[in-house]
Amino acid sequence: MRKKMALGVILSVLTAVAAFAAEPSGALVEKAKAEGKVAFYANMTAIEPIIADFGKKYGVKAEYTRLSTTKFVATIMTEHAAGKLTADVLQAPVPVLEFLKEKGVIASYVSPAAAGYPKWANTDGKIQLFGIEYAALIYNKELVKPADVPKTYQDLTDPKWKGKIVMADPATHPTTISWLVGLKENVIKSDAEWMKFLKGLAANDPMFVASFGPTPAPIESGEKLIGISMPKYIVTKAPAPLDWAHVSQPMMGTPRGIAIAAKAPHPNAARLFVDYWLSRDAMTIMAAKVGEYVLTPGVYPPIAGIDKAKVIPIRELSDAEIKSWGKEFKKIFARP
Amino acid sequence: MKKQGAILSPTLIAIVGFLTVCPILMLALGSFSEGLGAFGTLTTAKYVSAYTDPEFAKIIINTVIFTLGSAFVATALALFLAYLNTRTNVPFKFLFQIISLVPMMVPHILFAVSWALLLNPTNGMLNIFLRQILGFDAISLNIYTLKGMILVEGLLDLPIAYLVIAPAMSSFDVSLEESSRVCGASNWRTLFRITLPVLRPAILAAATLVIVRSMASFAVPSVIGMPGRIYVLATHIYRVVATGYATDYGLAAAVGMSALVASITLIFVYRRLTKEGEKYVTVTSRGYRPSTIYLKGARYPLFGIVGILSFILIVLPVAVLFYTSLIPYSMAPSAKAFASMSWRHYLAVLNDPVSLLSLKNSLLLGVGGATLGMVLSFFVAYTIVKIRSKASGFLESLSFLSFSFPGIVVGIGFMWFFVQTPLYSTIWALLIGYIATYLPYGIRPLTSAFVQIHGNLEESSRVCGGGPLYTMRRIVLPLLVPGIVSGWILMATMFVRELSLSVVLSRPGTEVLAVQILRFAEDGLWGRLSALGILMIFISTTLVLTASLIGKRLTKI
Repeated sequence: MRKKMALGVILSVLTAVAAFAAEPSGALVEKAKAEGKVAFYANMTAIEPIIADFGKKYGVKAEYTRLSTTKFVATIMTEHAAGKLTADVLQAPVPVLEFLKEKGVIASYVSPAAAGYPKWANTDGKIQLFGIEYAALIYNKELVKPADVPKTYQDLTDPKWKGKIVMADPATHPTTISWLVGLKENVIKSDAEWMKFLKGLAANDPMFVASFGPTPAPIESGEKLIGISMPKYIVTKAPAPLDWAHVSQPMMGTPRGIAIAAKAPHPNAARLFVDYWLSRDAMTIMAAKVGEYVLTPGVYPPIAGIDKAKVIPIRELSDAEIKSWGKEFKKIFARP
Repeated sequence: MKKQGAILSPTLIAIVGFLTVCPILMLALGSFSEGLGAFGTLTTAKYVSAYTDPEFAKIIINTVIFTLGSAFVATALALFLAYLNTRTNVPFKFLFQIISLVPMMVPHILFAVSWALLLNPTNGMLNIFLRQILGFDAISLNIYTLKGMILVEGLLDLPIAYLVIAPAMSSFDVSLEESSRVCGASNWRTLFRITLPVLRPAILAAATLVIVRSMASFAVPSVIGMPGRIYVLATHIYRVVATGYATDYGLAAAVGMSALVASITLIFVYRRLTKEGEKYVTVTSRGYRPSTIYLKGARYPLFGIVGILSFILIVLPVAVLFYTSLIPYSMAPSAKAFASMSWRHYLAVLNDPVSLLSLKNSLLLGVGGATLGMVLSFFVAYTIVKIRSKASGFLESLSFLSFSFPGIVVGIGFMWFFVQTPLYSTIWALLIGYIATYLPYGIRPLTSAFVQIHGNLEESSRVCGGGPLYTMRRIVLPLLVPGIVSGWILMATMFVRELSLSVVLSRPGTEVLAVQILRFAEDGLWGRLSALGILMIFISTTLVLTASLIGKRLTKI
């Protein structure tokens, strides 16, 4: 563990040096200006500052269409089938982009701005990973004593948390399902121990909500004390009394990706936008304002301890896997 | 009469059919196709997988209890409030009228969250209050139950029921009640033997509307049902859709078809129950004016009851909403909370250009859409009531098609349809989609008012040489004003906060308020969301007041 951490730090210092990628070429900017605008479809919210900054920098207007994850594939495929896909750039959780790639909706592009990113962030020359939708144990720091804060994920099974936990429904919420499977594959040593963790968590009778969105409110208000939620809320919901449990194990999340659409109406503006999106400037805004975990070396959200934490992307689960694990978790978490 | 029907029915069936059948047809295609789109190889696999789900029986039972319960709560409350407001001299009528419409103006998700803050078992404000007042630590009312869901959904749908029942109440010929009293019946007896039976079409119409609406509603089942692990049809569909990244809306549509079948069945039952239309005619050619019942001694006690009910059920949740819009994050009321109040969320909302644009678009759609929608509703309601033929029954079912489909799915149906047309991603798609989906909001209040107008009135006008349009303008329309105002209010307030279609059809430049709402909700930003909600209440109140004032003017013509 320690060795890995040290290696990670050395690596990130090295890559940080390389990450000062060149500005986009003047020719590309001119071509993009001639195209006039770029249509950007994303599932992320609160990214208006980045959109605005792009417009200011290059004089090219970015039009931002926000699609929720449940509507993303349906919308893109509907427009694509009707020959009306107006998107130039697509941003979504990586499994969504992988699905669209199989359907031939995604173009090849490797941005020079991604030079400093880790190797695994672009393996196919099409989808560029730039961040991780990380999850953690988020708790109310006014109501939970420092001594009680979980030191490992397994601490959540302590009976003292009974009736005090909130989480997204583990039978249906893809990110939570992936996260639980990620524990099994990356964190908890044996399957028996992992099952013990699940059963212990279920025994504490967590309150289920539809997705991550409704998880922080009950923790803030003290209706619940702790939840499986996202550290980014510590930034976006400040001054709420939220903090994350600095567990000894790595943090995990579903990777977020960005790609250019195969028949982009504004191909040059699309490239310029992706280059800008991956730049240190844009990613700094994203980390600072939206609290996101980004892959740009040395850029961290303003959350104490995140720069020391190890954050790993979860292996992509296919929809069939997500559904079958969902069924499994439904049984495990069913009330007796 | 006959001639009119011959032209009117087919024309309307064509228009309404086009509006509502297209998206549903797309959904039906999608539910029978392989793959994720509307078109694919034919298969019944999606139905098999939807209806062989072992949990489905439990879901149906929950849904039935939930929808019937909500309809009962909404209709009973609406009857009580509408009666006091339109027929008695209870004081501060004006206030109660607005209060009974407030739930219509708030995005449902917010109203539900407010109730969770008031009545969650851990630290719900009402629970804490009761514990401190009564000193019982054991008190813990739990909103996360089927009862809680019914209460909140019933309250949210109260305005629908109120707006269908109130116009029928106010165009009620007093001579019927007077005869009853002359014959020695008491006020109570008159109410139960005369007033309520005559109002049967309106009461049933209101209940039908609420049942169908609550079947399609998602906010309460997700905010209050999910934490209690109580699933109904809408949340079941959500779970089908949300588990996985390549969402299969065809499968969701297959599940949604059961809601459609249930709604159509309801419409037929309703028509059977109100078949003898003539029975409910109360406005004939002889002098008609609704009378006011003087409550005498009961005036203030009743006022007290209405006041307390309104306060607990409607004012309180809105107050919580207002409170949430001022505090920096979700916290229980305390000295610290009051000290940290500010207008920051309002400033954040109002300084956002997209919010301002969506405010403008939503207003435009609310006013324009409701006006257009009412014109169409007027002709449809006329046909349904006055030309009682097979065709008009068909028309009535048609008008409910999109309305009865669960919200998360119906938007996709419209998307699949509009993408085939040049209207895709324009504001017109939203306008047409809104009108098509919420047509019953316009039609219902009108039909329950239409039913009570006797054919004599129109015939007299004709005999005296008035043409059909002249008769419509001078005789029928003025008598219908309360119904028209009701329908317009329902549609306009709905369009201002519409969510299901907007999140699918809205694009850059055509953003509407709902899109903002959803964004804030998904980021858990309840403060901003509440600020937007309060602003929406202001906008909708303005619309309601304007419509009511214009209505008052018109009845005086």
